[in-house]
Amino acid sequence: MPHFLIRAAAIAATLSLPTGMAFAQEAIRIGAPLPLTGPLSPEGLKQQRGYDLWAEKVNEAGGIQVGNQQHPVEIIYVDYASNTPRAVQTAERLITEEEVNFLFSPFGSGAAKAASSVSERYGIPTVAATASSEQVYDQGYEYLFGTFTPNSTLTEPLADIVTGANADVTRVAILARNDLFPLAIAEEMERSAQSRDLEVVMFERYAIGTMDHSAAVTQMRAAEPDWIFATGYINDLSLIRRQISDQGLDPAVITMIAGPAYREFIEATGDLANGVSSAAWWHPAVRYEGEDIFGSTVAFNEAWEAKYGAEADYAEASAAAAGAILQLAIEQAGSLEPGAVRDALASLDVETFYGHVNFGETGQITTLEPPVFQIQGGRPMVVYPEAIKQSDFVFGD
Amino acid sequence: MIYFQVLANGLILGGLYACVAVGFSLVWGVLNVINILHGTFVVLGAYIAYFGYVHLGIHPFLSIFIAGGLLYGIGYVIQAGLVNRVVAAPVLITLTLTFGLDLILNNSMIVAFSADYRQVNLANPLPALMLGPVFLPGDRVAAMILAFLLTALLWRVLRDSRIGRAIVAVRMDREAASLMGVDVGRINAVTFGIGALMAGAAGALLSIIYPISPITAPIYLGKAFIVCVIGGLGSVPGAMIGGLALGIVESFGAYWFGPEHALTLSFLLLLVLLFVRPGGILGKKGYE
Repeated sequence: MPHFLIRAAAIAATLSLPTGMAFAQEAIRIGAPLPLTGPLSPEGLKQQRGYDLWAEKVNEAGGIQVGNQQHPVEIIYVDYASNTPRAVQTAERLITEEEVNFLFSPFGSGAAKAASSVSERYGIPTVAATASSEQVYDQGYEYLFGTFTPNSTLTEPLADIVTGANADVTRVAILARNDLFPLAIAEEMERSAQSRDLEVVMFERYAIGTMDHSAAVTQMRAAEPDWIFATGYINDLSLIRRQISDQGLDPAVITMIAGPAYREFIEATGDLANGVSSAAWWHPAVRYEGEDIFGSTVAFNEAWEAKYGAEADYAEASAAAAGAILQLAIEQAGSLEPGAVRDALASLDVETFYGHVNFGETGQITTLEPPVFQIQGGRPMVVYPEAIKQSDFVFGD
Repeated sequence: MIYFQVLANGLILGGLYACVAVGFSLVWGVLNVINILHGTFVVLGAYIAYFGYVHLGIHPFLSIFIAGGLLYGIGYVIQAGLVNRVVAAPVLITLTLTFGLDLILNNSMIVAFSADYRQVNLANPLPALMLGPVFLPGDRVAAMILAFLLTALLWRVLRDSRIGRAIVAVRMDREAASLMGVDVGRINAVTFGIGALMAGAAGALLSIIYPISPITAPIYLGKAFIVCVIGGLGSVPGAMIGGLALGIVESFGAYWFGPEHALTLSFLLLLVLLFVRPGGILGKKGYE
């Protein structure tokens, strides 16, 4: 959108407000198209919880400091019902009709990529809280920034830990959901395995909405893997986990991405969750001090616990971090002008509760060190990096 | 032999498919109503079993009766109060009606239970049986056997009970049945109720196997659709054979061509059958 239009809208909004009030600054409007209903709604609601906590904190503190004025924030949510084409339309509508200043991307790599062309066209700085695949950021776009590091930063440390601790693990079976992120990370795992001379004895995909994995598990049994690596979302993975044990398979290592970081996965699989390893971009056990509104991981965890009565997972934390990072950039820019905020985001180099934040050439964050964890005693325990390690990696029989 | 395992997987899956589909088939065959609500009924049954187990400690297998009974009531009321008003209209009208009702019920369930996945984790799951090289997961096998028993029971009811004969009569010829003194409106409601009962009971059985969420409803509906076309509409043995055929095709298909093609194969089978035997494997003869 041309800048003069935003200015015109801002002036109009200011004129319509009664003058002389201390809190008369118009709100900074941030558009958030989310899958609040439909198959991706658990993930969409996580993002919403993260944004809500951040916005609440900001408004409690009086707003975001822009130059010498404080502006409250307002997040405009629109449900796109887990339908990616509708996410793109929604993003455009938020920019043209709701006249938002900034945008939070829709959920996941696929939708974030699709919507990024819209925000690029209108020059609206956009933060993607849940898009990790490098294909999202390779389009040369200038207004898109992502808070997940590339997929390889998850599979590489995992492969290091497993091969470093157990030389008997040589055969890997990979089962991937045929979907942008789950397939991309499975392929990354294949590369990580092959570069360490592990033999990939099976690589199969399953269709979205698959209700039964017994054939794939039977195939796995025939391939005799030491390491099963399965990708998908909570429902897929809890079903796969159950069917692995249904057929008496008990490999040394079972890794699943992304699901085990969510408490829903542990609740859904019960005892079978124990021993499952995974990696994520953040974990409540990490410890960072930051310049952001939350101040530190400990303070963030406390604020989360107070509002939601539970521990935050990485998707929830990433959404809160997306807000906190955007806030830092606005404060540094000292203006709401989209170009200035974009430049501030691009040059950001700060500590936050979420980790060190610096966006690389493509706009994707490069400075996180994603923790590897394993579920032990019904809780995800960090096994890497060393600095925040809670437990040692445990191998099955 | 790995093929025995693949066959066993297919049979177990097929038994569950048959149980999911039989109520849908009955309603479609007897009332000529494509009940889009069916998938949501299955999920509602699963929720009843889930909450019964988590809060009251009732084993999901016992919840078959609770879920079946409640769903029967819901189904009866929906047919008597709403669908009966348009049951003689073209099939598109009833389809639209059940589609709309499904939107309401499914979204109400999302509001009430959220879309998060839940699962019944039995405190004492049945151990896996090992028959030579074949692993049979205990709970799945038990669920499949119960599914068969339920389906067989429905078959007996339709064959031997007064109400069952009335249902079959309505399916064969609505006007003639009416002339013979059958209260068609009531039989419609009973049939729809039985369809919902079977869905609820299937849901209770499935609750120990599959993650439960309102958003899985369309998957069950899709399977029921395929099973009906494969086996033939409105007949219990048709749903049974259709379910088993689908389970076995999916299982072998996934093994030979990779799991991502299992769905493609089942739809190919559907297309082939629509060309070769549009009435399904058992055709339209097997009324019971």
